[in-house]
Amino acid sequence: MLERLMEFSLGNRLLVIVVALLVMGAGYFAYTRLPVDAFPDVSPNLVQVFTVTEGLAPEEIEKYVTFPVEAAMTGLPGVEKVRSISNFGLSVVNVYFQDSLDIYFARQIVGERLQEAREQIPEGFGDPEMGPISTGMGLVLFYFLDDTTGEYSLEEMRTIQDWLVKFHLQTVPGVTEVLGIGGHEKQFHIEIRPEQLLRYDVTLDEVIDRVRSNNLNVGAQFIEKNAEEFVVRSVGLATGTEDLRSIVIKTEDGTPIFLSDLAEIGTGAAVRRGLQTRNGVGEVVSGQVVKLFGTNSSTVISDVESKLEEINRILPEGVRIVPYYQQKDLVEAAVRTVTNALLQGIVLVAVVLLIFMGGLRPSVVVALSLPFSVLFAVLLMERFGLSANLMSLGGLAIAIGMMVDGTIVMVENVDRRLRLAGRDESRLRVISQACGEVGRPILFAISIIILVFVPLFTLQGVEGKTFRPLAYTVAMAMLGSLVFALFLAPTFSSLLMRSGRKSREGGAGEEPRIVRWLQVPYRPVVGFFVRRRWTAAVLAAALLVVGAMIVPRLGSEFTPKLREGTIVVRLTMAPSISLSESQRTTRIVERRLLAIPEIREVISRIGRGEVGAHTDPINSAEMYVLLAPESEWRISGGQEEIEDLIREELGNVPGVLVNLTQPIEMTVDELLEGVRAELAVKIFGDDLDVLMVQAANVAAIVGQVPGAADVQVDQVSGTPQLLLRIDRKAIARYGINVDEVQEVIRAAIGGEVAGQIYEGIRRFDILVRYVPDARSTAEDIRHVLITAPGGARVPLDQLASIEEIIGPRQITREDNQRFVSIQCNVVGRDIGSFVAEAQDAIDDSVDLPPGYLVTWGGQFRLQQEANRRLAVVVPVTLLFVFLLLFGSFGSIRNSLLILLNIPLALVGGVVGLWLTGQNLSVPASVGFIALFGIALENGMVLVTYLNQLLRDGVPLAEASIQGACQRLRPVLMTATTTALGLFPLLFSHGTGSEVQRPLATVVVGGLFTSTLLTLLVIPAFYPWFAVKTGQESRTVMENRS
Amino acid sequence: MKNSSIRFQLNCKLFELLIMTVAFLAILAHPVLAQEGDDDHDGHGHGEEQKDWVRLDQDEMREFGVVVSEAGSAVLEQTLELPGEIRADDNALAHIVPRFSGIVTEVRAQVGDRVVARDILAVIESDESLSPYEMKTLISGTVIDKHITLGEAVSREHAGFIIADLSNVWADITVYQRDLTRVSDGQRVTIDGGDHLPGASGRISYVAPIVNEKTRTALARVVLPNDSGVWRPGTFITAQVVVDRLDVPVAVPRTALQMFQGHDVVFVQTDEGFAPRPVVVGRADRNHLEIVSGLAPGEFYVSQGGFTLKAELGKESFGGGHDH
Repeated sequence: MLERLMEFSLGNRLLVIVVALLVMGAGYFAYTRLPVDAFPDVSPNLVQVFTVTEGLAPEEIEKYVTFPVEAAMTGLPGVEKVRSISNFGLSVVNVYFQDSLDIYFARQIVGERLQEAREQIPEGFGDPEMGPISTGMGLVLFYFLDDTTGEYSLEEMRTIQDWLVKFHLQTVPGVTEVLGIGGHEKQFHIEIRPEQLLRYDVTLDEVIDRVRSNNLNVGAQFIEKNAEEFVVRSVGLATGTEDLRSIVIKTEDGTPIFLSDLAEIGTGAAVRRGLQTRNGVGEVVSGQVVKLFGTNSSTVISDVESKLEEINRILPEGVRIVPYYQQKDLVEAAVRTVTNALLQGIVLVAVVLLIFMGGLRPSVVVALSLPFSVLFAVLLMERFGLSANLMSLGGLAIAIGMMVDGTIVMVENVDRRLRLAGRDESRLRVISQACGEVGRPILFAISIIILVFVPLFTLQGVEGKTFRPLAYTVAMAMLGSLVFALFLAPTFSSLLMRSGRKSREGGAGEEPRIVRWLQVPYRPVVGFFVRRRWTAAVLAAALLVVGAMIVPRLGSEFTPKLREGTIVVRLTMAPSISLSESQRTTRIVERRLLAIPEIREVISRIGRGEVGAHTDPINSAEMYVLLAPESEWRISGGQEEIEDLIREELGNVPGVLVNLTQPIEMTVDELLEGVRAELAVKIFGDDLDVLMVQAANVAAIVGQVPGAADVQVDQVSGTPQLLLRIDRKAIARYGINVDEVQEVIRAAIGGEVAGQIYEGIRRFDILVRYVPDARSTAEDIRHVLITAPGGARVPLDQLASIEEIIGPRQITREDNQRFVSIQCNVVGRDIGSFVAEAQDAIDDSVDLPPGYLVTWGGQFRLQQEANRRLAVVVPVTLLFVFLLLFGSFGSIRNSLLILLNIPLALVGGVVGLWLTGQNLSVPASVGFIALFGIALENGMVLVTYLNQLLRDGVPLAEASIQGACQRLRPVLMTATTTALGLFPLLFSHGTGSEVQRPLATVVVGGLFTSTLLTLLVIPAFYPWFAVKTGQESRTVMENRS
Repeated sequence: MKNSSIRFQLNCKLFELLIMTVAFLAILAHPVLAQEGDDDHDGHGHGEEQKDWVRLDQDEMREFGVVVSEAGSAVLEQTLELPGEIRADDNALAHIVPRFSGIVTEVRAQVGDRVVARDILAVIESDESLSPYEMKTLISGTVIDKHITLGEAVSREHAGFIIADLSNVWADITVYQRDLTRVSDGQRVTIDGGDHLPGASGRISYVAPIVNEKTRTALARVVLPNDSGVWRPGTFITAQVVVDRLDVPVAVPRTALQMFQGHDVVFVQTDEGFAPRPVVVGRADRNHLEIVSGLAPGEFYVSQGGFTLKAELGKESFGGGHDH
């Protein structure tokens, strides 16, 4: 079958070339259309539901808003988990879906259920809405509005942002949302003097009603006039403060009492839960552009940029948009890192080819496999919707060296056969035979490489999303190289390579000079080992022992931190902090940061702006640090050095926790929302107080289990509340209803929106509340008067007890239940036994009330799942590899010999990591997997030839030595091409190189030992594993071929 | 030879097994090992020993606005803010009625006119005697109301003029039930009429012995001198009643008190640094709090910026679960 296909391709060379060109052309076309991202998107597949209810405490948010939404979301198909946070004024429900579920379908079903939830939420408690159709990578551009004239107020700037900049930016295709923050949202304020209410004997409610009923337009169909129709409309909308002032509240003896008699009327700022500061001096208005899910980052960003240019032109004189964070920089840097590695890899591989092939023509044929395989992979990437990013292109860069392997073997054999061929033999015939010989082994070898990457396909979660693209592209590129090696290489060989008699090198079986040089020392060495096999065995065992000893010395980490090139200083302040204090503190830190000469600007976001991307409370600030050009730095560069400078300069900021993070890292962490510690104990239950007490108990117990470290209880309380508890007896005496009291509390203190004022299409709320000095202190609130039906005016504190308490700062729920979590790391023992011991201790000494439940989670759970999965997948993969090997060699012994390469390759990888001071990590593991494939391939190349020699009747020992020497070239070539292909990744310092480096280190290090051992140990061991030279094995061979 | 080769094979099998096991373990071990290096714990490292004081240098104190003061005595003025209304003094009010019914033949006074006792306000022709007689004011004051028109038939049932002496007015203050025990005669009151009226002060001259059945409030009265006439009856006012004036040995500004771990504390300067000191708060006025125990006179305490210190002490705990 395979042979016939190869025959066919050789017989239709023109067709083959046309198809090849078509594939490459299509690949290039796909390349131009490929979405480009910085990293693979690791955000979970989730739909967020936000509900803003201004002024409501976490408990009420949970009760009235979060619970109905959550309840509506249960039982949806594909839902993995529903988690919610009820904050002050904001409810966020995260509905996590299985990764395989289409996001638009997920949103659709969530949307349907939201309809139900809306009916359950009491009137006036907010309207749940879905977050933007985006992911953690969606925040592509942040900008602020720079007012160079200094004439515009923060209110005007915010109006420019909301009604001009945002409006235009939202029309850019691929932009799903533009979120404004900072400055003041304009509002019309009607601030009522409570004593005027007394004087004129009106209630707050009446005022609000009057405002509402004096602000509307109506339509009244049309009238006919002289055969024409006139549309009737009546305009009664208030157009500004003047109209509001002249609203008549009541008329006493013909004397109208105007709203202006009761209240101060003017424009003011809406209540805000976040702001943006800059350089420690002032506030700015800024915006965040959110990219639509699945769109091409680079095109969206460039479209946004050109739109910004346009908007800049129509902005008022002196105001301009200044981007301060652009994902474009990161995308470009990441793609540059891998494309550089890719190109350098190609050049290095080509050089190696030239040296080893000993001729330009065969080198060209082999080198042609690179563009073909890469473009073939790109074509498939486009088909399967993979974006070009650090990992997917990184996969190509890793595969560079391996892509040529198949073709090298093919061309090498063609080359050899052409030289041996007689003058009168048909060239095509010779080539066809040569290809037929190696076609099968190549098919098996490359299949094995693809196969060893299969375990990576099964990775889940963040690692899965990070490394699966890499595995996919490696597999695709290898598939491309297989197609090239089997069907295109013969054709190109026939066209480009000369027959033996024309070859300058002349002599039959002549090797290039470098190979001959290498063979001089190699032959005696391999001879030595073949004669003293036990020495080889001891050597191999010794190496294994060395490797095994080094493994525990290696540090480990999950995934090396990707350097995004942008530093974010994250401040966490006391949960009870006020916005103004939070701003003051942030400015102090900004000023400290600006004392570092390398830092040019600092722009900070405190709390949240328009809901959609961030849900941070006001005690958290994120400071974007803009650096001066690298040439002005005092230090030699690198993000880490700058981070050290920042840590040093900031020192300990009193009352503030400082963390350094990066934009995407931060956003993704927020979405994952999982606990970052290894272990999390979650206590589920109803009563927050009980939960907190039990959490403290559990934490104390867990802390005493040997191996526990960093035990920390999730801080759920800490927000001071002024709690008004209505005294039912007191209100009964006056005949007042609870809602009458609460309505006054809500409107007088919190404020109530009584309609909008339209300025063109711009809409601004009209907010009615008391004047600030009648509501801003607890004392003022005590004095708010409530009118009883009998006419009595009663101060609030006669109807309600007023106390200051510490309330919850947020309420977290999972699977419809409140929980408090305790985080913990485990040091020096394995987590499984730790959990068992801690669980026993908890069972013994913590007496949980009925309905309370302890569960264990955290990273370790994911790890256990991953381990369980790998424990099945890895052996199954090895079994398949073995089957493939068996299929190729028809011998269990041979297959085992080749599998021997795996542990020996591991040693080199481990040593490589150790020498370069790197840690065991997921990318290192991926490197090991790639290494297996390459090591197996090396082994196959050698063993195949040894078998062939044996079949030709060469004695065992002699075959081992001779075969090893003759196969020195292909083995060295495949190994060096692979290693050199990875060199650029090894030495690159570009963005994202830190993820690729451990991988490259492992492969290069592993290749070193594995090649050495392939060349020395396999020939030595071969006699043990060789198929017995005898009648029966000969028949096996013949049957097979 | 045969034998040894079998033994070799056996050894090889064992060897393979060993190697394969190592390989498996290595593969499986990575993810397990990989999770240990969670270096995300900046900021928790120094939290091992729970410290109970904060040290700040001068620069930091200035930067964060931390102000230190010496504890000492203060006078607390406890006040109540109550609504009220300006009324004319009942004792200086005169209703002038026609002595006999008759027809008004002359009106000499208008609302707002100032009159002196015995001034003629109007002339009425009596129905009985058909002779004119004069209506005279009984007191000096201002005409605040007039129900009499030329030619009108008037009778003694209706007051023709109301004359008030507005040189003194009453500020009638509404006292709510809960404040009744604290308000008494002689307390000083500051009156604010808002709307650009000048403030005034006086003392409570009278507290009503009964509570109004409808409004459930009692009345306290301040007599205000009103020579300039700015206090017009009917004006709404706000009264600050000083219900108590206390000399306390130790008082701190309200900004000094912080709630820390469920207790009221004041940050006190000690040799180590600033330490939270639980205090018992006594009486208070708008700006100051009496410290009954916990702070001795002469001690230095943080009067402003205590929040920064409290936040620094509580810092270990606010990393929480979700903020990494």
